[in-house]
Amino acid sequence: MPYQARIIGILLLGLAGGVLPASAEFFNLAPQPPAAKYGNILIDRLATKSGVKPVAFSHWLHRQKYTCRVCHSELEFNMKTSTTEITESANLAGRYCGACHNGKIAFGQDRCITCHNGEIGHGEEKFAKLLLRPLVRTEYGDGIDWVASLRNGAVAPQSFLKSQAKEPPFGRELSLEAEWVKFPPAVFPHKAHTDWLACSNCHPDIFNIKKKTTRHFSMPLILKGEFCGVCHVTVAFPMNDCKRCHPAMTPDSVKR
Amino acid sequence: MKRLVLWISLIVLVCAGIASAQGGVKKKRPPGYEYGNVTINNFSANAGLAPVVFQHWSHRSRFTCRVCHVDIGFAMKAGATRVRAADNMKGYYCGTCHNGSMQFNKEKVFEACSKVSSSVDQKRCNKCHFVGDTGKREEEFYKFADDLPKERFGNGIDWEKAEEEGLVKPVDFIKGVSVKRPPLPVQKDFALAAKVEGMPEIIFSHKKHTVWNGCEVCHPEIFIGIKKGSTKYSMIEIFEGKYCGVCHDKVAFPQMGCQRCHTKPVS
Repeated sequence: MPYQARIIGILLLGLAGGVLPASAEFFNLAPQPPAAKYGNILIDRLATKSGVKPVAFSHWLHRQKYTCRVCHSELEFNMKTSTTEITESANLAGRYCGACHNGKIAFGQDRCITCHNGEIGHGEEKFAKLLLRPLVRTEYGDGIDWVASLRNGAVAPQSFLKSQAKEPPFGRELSLEAEWVKFPPAVFPHKAHTDWLACSNCHPDIFNIKKKTTRHFSMPLILKGEFCGVCHVTVAFPMNDCKRCHPAMTPDSVKR
Repeated sequence: MKRLVLWISLIVLVCAGIASAQGGVKKKRPPGYEYGNVTINNFSANAGLAPVVFQHWSHRSRFTCRVCHVDIGFAMKAGATRVRAADNMKGYYCGTCHNGSMQFNKEKVFEACSKVSSSVDQKRCNKCHFVGDTGKREEEFYKFADDLPKERFGNGIDWEKAEEEGLVKPVDFIKGVSVKRPPLPVQKDFALAAKVEGMPEIIFSHKKHTVWNGCEVCHPEIFIGIKKGSTKYSMIEIFEGKYCGVCHDKVAFPQMGCQRCHTKPVS
């Protein structure tokens, strides 16, 4: 019964591929975009359908002036590209982009193609200008260590736009056991995150608030864009930078 | 052989199901004008009607929570009341106010359900059995909300402040269903210790809650008895929708506004 055997074969392959991490290619992360394009996104929920070009949005440009919290908590932008219901009328009413892009805080909405240009690398010359500032640099992502740059004052992003709500201070550093032997634990500093984020950006949707109660929290899923991967493959430093989370990592740790 | 194929496909499907049961991403939050909306569909579909999309914001701008959830008797869980058209027509549940004769701010409150439906009625049915233009509902919401004090989450309205400043004056008494209650002395605010070291303590204010809820919305069912410390609960249970989570995350400001409860400076 070659036909049924083939089905079983395909199903078994699917089982191996879908459920078990393919260990050989496990750490072959997707190639990184050039620094000036890291964290850039094209927003195209309605644009193309409405006959305008998608919006080119640059995270490195915005995070110089505002923390992640402002847009992703206060202004209620979702964490997944093109899922936020941004509309022209909402912007004009001062919501979403329009909270700043009103001609007062930032340029107004009469300059259509400044955003609707469909070019993911739009504004590259501004990136060159940004690098002239005394920023702390890294080798990964957009090449900027934003956490250290904020601490040394090279960037001073604003934490709130309208509301002055104070987030509760919480700075505990966690040590998270790695799943595999030979792998050193990951260090999680709350402070480096709360400098940029509100508690609610991560809790309780992404991480439960009690250690070891977050279900399915594992490296394969992180690499696929869940948990830490919600930010750390898209905008925050990418996971190629192993040692930044697993400081005791050596080349030996990854030898199988 | 056929049975084997079936079994293997079943196992693969179950495994794939487990593997794709994801948790580690952000949930999509409803926009301000939809926060607190409840879709009720116990009997609607069978009667050939669209489900009722109930807007909490529009009702709480006029009435306290207590009026509906205690006096009229609506359950706290969406759909659990199982309201029937017949109940409404007899003047229960929605029909307590939506009876065609009650006035609010000198305006007649539209009548709920009716037995016969004409084309004129259809328009009235659609007000609750909601079909069509969410744009109009959005517009109505922002028309109301734009002048109120702002908060970051939920409806984007600071209801507590709006009430304090007299911008909303929720009615707490409906003739025929409410009873006159003797005023109770309002307890002073008190602190509840957070379980995690380094988290600011919670300041709980009875005063802020009783404006909307009286005593009965929370006691004795959600918070057993009235003695401090007799109900044991954790933040995880609250996130699961128990205790404070019965309202906070569904209608009252969501739990993501940590600092609204965890307010006491860490000493």
